[in-house]
Amino acid sequence: MNADVVIQIVASGLTLGAMYAVSTIGLSLVWGSLGMLNMAHGAMLTMGGYAAYFVMARLGLPHVAGLLGAMVVGAMVGLLVYHTVVRTMLGSRSFDTNVIIATVGIASVLENVVLKLFDAQPLPQPLVIGGSLQVGRVHIPNQNLLILGVALVLMVAIALVLQRSRAGRAIRATAMNREAAQLMGVPIGRVYAQVLMLAGALAAVSGIMVSSIATLSPTMGGDPMLKAFIICVVAGLGNVYGAVVSAIALGLLEATAQYVIGVRFGFALLLFLVIAILIWRPYGLFGRRQVVRL
Amino acid sequence: MTRSWRNDLSVGLALLALAVALPFVWPVNYVVTQVTLFFVWAVVVTQWNLVYGVAGIFSLAQMALFAVGAYATAMLGYYLEWSLWLAMPVAGLVTVVVSMLIGLACLRLRGPYVALLTLAIAQVMYLYIVNDTACFTNPPSGCMPLFGGVRGVTRFGDLGFRELFKQDWRLAHYFLALGLLAAATVFSVVIIRGPLGLAFRALRDNPDFARSRGINRFRTQLWVFALSALFTGLAGAFYAANFRSIGPTVFSFSLLLFLISMMVVGGVGTIWGPLLGAALLMMTDEALREVQDWRDIGLGLMLALFVVLLPRGIVGTLRDLAHRRSAGRGPPAA
Repeated sequence: MNADVVIQIVASGLTLGAMYAVSTIGLSLVWGSLGMLNMAHGAMLTMGGYAAYFVMARLGLPHVAGLLGAMVVGAMVGLLVYHTVVRTMLGSRSFDTNVIIATVGIASVLENVVLKLFDAQPLPQPLVIGGSLQVGRVHIPNQNLLILGVALVLMVAIALVLQRSRAGRAIRATAMNREAAQLMGVPIGRVYAQVLMLAGALAAVSGIMVSSIATLSPTMGGDPMLKAFIICVVAGLGNVYGAVVSAIALGLLEATAQYVIGVRFGFALLLFLVIAILIWRPYGLFGRRQVVRL
Repeated sequence: MTRSWRNDLSVGLALLALAVALPFVWPVNYVVTQVTLFFVWAVVVTQWNLVYGVAGIFSLAQMALFAVGAYATAMLGYYLEWSLWLAMPVAGLVTVVVSMLIGLACLRLRGPYVALLTLAIAQVMYLYIVNDTACFTNPPSGCMPLFGGVRGVTRFGDLGFRELFKQDWRLAHYFLALGLLAAATVFSVVIIRGPLGLAFRALRDNPDFARSRGINRFRTQLWVFALSALFTGLAGAFYAANFRSIGPTVFSFSLLLFLISMMVVGGVGTIWGPLLGAALLMMTDEALREVQDWRDIGLGLMLALFVVLLPRGIVGTLRDLAHRRSAGRGPPAA
């Protein structure tokens, strides 16, 4: 394995990892603060990808509008999940399993709405930039660098929001102890809505990223969602910072595995790894039992 | 206790009479085939209900177990040329073993983690079957991977009813499936009303208290996985024999969604809810057949609406109302 191959693997692994990190943060944030496994996460990704397509290809607006449009649509889906499901179900008996079923239902509706609006044919994602950067004899597409850059900016922004802002403090307080936060005057309903909107907007950006290196299709959200679940399990559900580290590790692992053993059984092996981790360390590699991780 | 036994018995006998009369009152091939399929799904959801509804373990591996039963039957018939009458019960036992292994893997997990683990297990099985392209044998019909790959397994014989009853074979399959459902229903009623069912519910509603009263969680969890797998595997075995083929489509997410909806709409944890839900969902599916594009939207909406607004399902809600009227206070515990 020479230096060029290593550069190639590291470059594509980091791109994949950054992409996974963006899609996982939302899922992890929702789990950490609401205690819900959001099965509509994949549908949020899909809606975001298609929103960018609609704004740019159908309305003819520039890149920035496509990105903003996707984030707004993603946030709206998050708000929809809050108002249709979370608001009524929160605090009810067996919320944690019922919410999985309810969001599966919503995901099925959203996915099929996309299917009806845009057809099953795969579409190209217009939010891409051309050209490439040459490192040694390796060409790294500018699109990958853009993905890496946007992911970094988003991660720093999320960390700042969570650690420094008033809203972030409310989110952390709610994640630590819902009742105590409520008694201290935190409007937990609004916090939940904010978290879901934030997760939706992040998922939308990740939907653009995923579709920009593959294609847009109504079922495109399923695969990244499954990978986000894997990352969350490895990190311990709800552990946002652990999720970022695990996402990048997974990206590098996947890029290496594709080079070394081919793509055929890669994903099955990954799932097998998750099964092993869940049995061996039920609360994830970085997770500890009953500890809030925000 | 005796009154509820008598109620169950009369409901069961009435449904059985209805099911026996149906193909003679309405002798249309399509109806007979669809109702046969309903029996199969009803068996699966009554058994899934034991795990999810009664024991409160949110396992998503039920369709994977169904697939184990179906694949085991098909492969015993194909590779070893066994009669399917022998292959089916063996497949049922194989499913029980696989299910107990899954139960062992789930032992330390709760709630959503169980859902993730079982979903991952089902996905691994699916991905392995679909991606395995190495030829295990080379029959004249072309390369045959061990599990049949994307095309699945066919040409493993059938139950022999097509030769025996000529054009009435559909009726024979209908009554076999009905028998399976009747046995599965009796099986689940006996478990739910018996001491094991009590242990399952106790562990679901208050695990710490149940354990302090001497209920062994390890043993009880293995029991529920083992018991619920037997008829699920047999249903899968019958499914393979009925269609004379089995493919990886049984792992599809929309089928899983369809079966969860049956349980949720009818009433999770109730005895007759899953049956009612299965019947309602089959009819809804039939009604939406004309507008195929809207099918999944309709099913998704229905699932979300029920779980949000009527989380105890039709039967569970009706029972709550009846209890409230007779007792004048809150819903019952079970």
